[in-house]
Amino acid sequence: MKEETRHFETELAVVGSGLAGCAASIFALNRKIKIAQVGNTGAVAYTTGYLDLLGAVEESSKAVENPWDGLELLKKSHPDHPLSHIPAQDIAEGFRQFTTFLGESGIAYTGPQETNITALTPAGTLKKTLCVPATMAAGPQAFAAQRPCVIIDFHGLKGFSAREVVANLRHKWPQLTAARVDFPDMEKGEIYPEVMARALEVAATRTRLAELLREAAGEIKTIGLPALLGMHTPDLVRSELERLTGLTIFEIPTMPPSVPGIRLREMFEQVFPQKGITLIPQQKITALSFAPDRAQLNLRDNYGPIVIHAKAVILATGRFLSGGLEAHITGITEPLLDLPVHQPPSRTDWYREQYTDRQGHLIHKAGIEIDASCRPLGKNGTPYHERLFAAGIILAHQDWIRGRSGAGIAIATAYKAVQAAEDLLHARI
Amino acid sequence: MSDKKIPTINFKEKAIELLPEGASFDACLTCGLCSSGCPASGIENMDPRKFIRMAMLGMNEELSTTPWVWCCTQCRRCQHVCPMNIDISQLVFIARGNWPQEAKPAGIVRSCQLIRSTDSTSAMGLPPDDFIFVVEDVLQEVRETQPAFKNLQAPMDKKGAHFFVNQNSREPMNEPDEMVPLWKIFDMVGADWTYSSKGWAAENFCMFSGDEEAWYEVIKTRVDAVNALGCKVWLNTECGHSYYTMWNAINRFGMEADFQLESLITYYARWIREGKLPVNSDWNTNNITFTVQDPCMIVRKAYGDAIAEDMRFVVKSLVGEENFIDMQPNRSANYCCGGGGGFLQAGMTEHRRTYGKRKFDQIAATGAAYVLTPCHNCHSQMEDIGHHYGGNYGVVHFWTLICLSLGILGENERTYLGPDLLALID
Repeated sequence: MKEETRHFETELAVVGSGLAGCAASIFALNRKIKIAQVGNTGAVAYTTGYLDLLGAVEESSKAVENPWDGLELLKKSHPDHPLSHIPAQDIAEGFRQFTTFLGESGIAYTGPQETNITALTPAGTLKKTLCVPATMAAGPQAFAAQRPCVIIDFHGLKGFSAREVVANLRHKWPQLTAARVDFPDMEKGEIYPEVMARALEVAATRTRLAELLREAAGEIKTIGLPALLGMHTPDLVRSELERLTGLTIFEIPTMPPSVPGIRLREMFEQVFPQKGITLIPQQKITALSFAPDRAQLNLRDNYGPIVIHAKAVILATGRFLSGGLEAHITGITEPLLDLPVHQPPSRTDWYREQYTDRQGHLIHKAGIEIDASCRPLGKNGTPYHERLFAAGIILAHQDWIRGRSGAGIAIATAYKAVQAAEDLLHARI
Repeated sequence: MSDKKIPTINFKEKAIELLPEGASFDACLTCGLCSSGCPASGIENMDPRKFIRMAMLGMNEELSTTPWVWCCTQCRRCQHVCPMNIDISQLVFIARGNWPQEAKPAGIVRSCQLIRSTDSTSAMGLPPDDFIFVVEDVLQEVRETQPAFKNLQAPMDKKGAHFFVNQNSREPMNEPDEMVPLWKIFDMVGADWTYSSKGWAAENFCMFSGDEEAWYEVIKTRVDAVNALGCKVWLNTECGHSYYTMWNAINRFGMEADFQLESLITYYARWIREGKLPVNSDWNTNNITFTVQDPCMIVRKAYGDAIAEDMRFVVKSLVGEENFIDMQPNRSANYCCGGGGGFLQAGMTEHRRTYGKRKFDQIAATGAAYVLTPCHNCHSQMEDIGHHYGGNYGVVHFWTLICLSLGILGENERTYLGPDLLALID
């Protein structure tokens, strides 16, 4: 059968479709750079929707109230940390551009503020984060004001229990109670937030749910629901439900598979091509090579081979989950270019004795190292190629889970990598 | 379905054989994105995540016998949303093939038998001579009754024609006038095309029955027919799985095919861009709204978003950008309607409609008056769930709307138009 190779020419190729890759595309769009983005499904769908900058200074168990002060502490205690190399105003600007883009694309977010927000988790614990979806913003406000509130869950929905939230939070929020209702037309069997969210895009479903919510709320004026207020138009779904019930309504993230992440992924996949990005979201590249004047990316989809030529490349392939790093018996590798990986000396050093050790595990700081211009270092300690940049959690010297800093690292390093790539593109194309 | 015992297969072994190099089911995080995004989740108390976990646990008897494999339409949305790219539909294909013929849904088996009963490869068993007769008969009538098309052509077995055009059997068999808009479009753009008396039909239920040998045979007949006429392009008309079954088989079985496989949608878009199909939306004076259904078999499972973009370009050109409302989710992320994979023919009506509720909600959320789709199974399923769940929308073929826009839609070619569209023509 005859197959034709498809060719794309671009200025910047972004490899990876997680938060860092998508943030890089947004910053490049804002700088009017021509972009092609490639990457497998990615882990965006797993996000709670919260955008953390810095919730803890890694080994410390103390929550960071003011992330900007926290970054100053981080610089002193963790000078190798990727966030320690980026000026606070650049990080803030990255968050502003990122959340503005999300808002303009249909998912409103709070912008970066002076302090962290104390946000609710599905376990009924509290966490520090910088920006939250508008659909969730009323939750932290209700908590801060200690308003009477009912957390409502649904028969058949796993991964979110109103009773659990209340049991764990009530000592800090005495006016909190729980209720359970049937979701319209989904009274039987296991149901998923995704399905409920899509059903709420239909006006008739909203009307029926509103009645049940009003009843469950009784005299109380504020209710918290698992994150399922629509998929494509969450702000509209929330405001319509508020109008129909007369209540203040907020969402709390659920366990994956969760709606806020799917919202983001579907939005990126729709909006990016509309903005002129060549987006190939379901494929991993099979080869990346460099000539003096350009990079070449090879991949294939169902329809046949694809070749992309780019003047600059940002590597945002993540860690183990997304395949940016691979763990082997003999050590950790970066599979695409075989970049050197900073890692513990041997496999026996990957984990500490206790899984819950407060110091964390050394494997969680493995990654590639970069120079001051975000260029990954090759085997001889100098940049692998002048056209190659890197961003996101593939970078070494950070434990983003422990630091509650996943989005912060993704957004801030993407911002810097795009800046550096633009310098190269402007210097010589 | 009969009571004949279904042999037990080792799913874990099969699953591991199917994995690409370097991949592993250990990579499955059991996150449930597959099940969350699958309209068949919950039917027969099964879902994709459960299927994989049961396979890994060695629950082979349960998986070998679950009727759920006939409710999964093999649409591959589970794989699409899986960060580990795990393809459950291949296991479902194996499970289907493992069922004794007598135990499989009779509708699917019978359709496969009919496909193999004549050289037409028609699931309705329409033999080549009858196809030739119907085409000539309809053509004659159009020439006589529509003066603008007194020289209309519908070539048969024309050697060396550029396009080898297939046709879903539903048209020649049940609604022959629906072929005419397509012929008019070819006439207008001056396409060099032909039907073939052999291998002309589009559908392939042998693939859905899990019968690999029969699948091969059907495609072999079609590939031989295209090669014999020496056509450059096998042009898949408005039928979803036809493209996938041909393309996948040619690769899967390593067949010799000296031609390109293309979809009519791509050509609609190209001809509109080139000005050969001078469609516009001026006719839509009442701002009737439309949405579009992405058939899994040509979008997610084959061409990807490129053809989805072409489809949207064509629809917007036809109805006006302001009158187009996209479904959510859409393109490669769109949901299967529940008509694919042989579900419509499997006789499991209640399950099929449960599956289709997701599609119904999507359409309802758009509020569109019509759904356009280039797939017959999507077409039938969306009509059925619309009636079942009390929807108020119509479903139309692309060729109908193209000819409507061009002002050349004959009176017998308006079956799928509601009163609102008919009012705009007369």
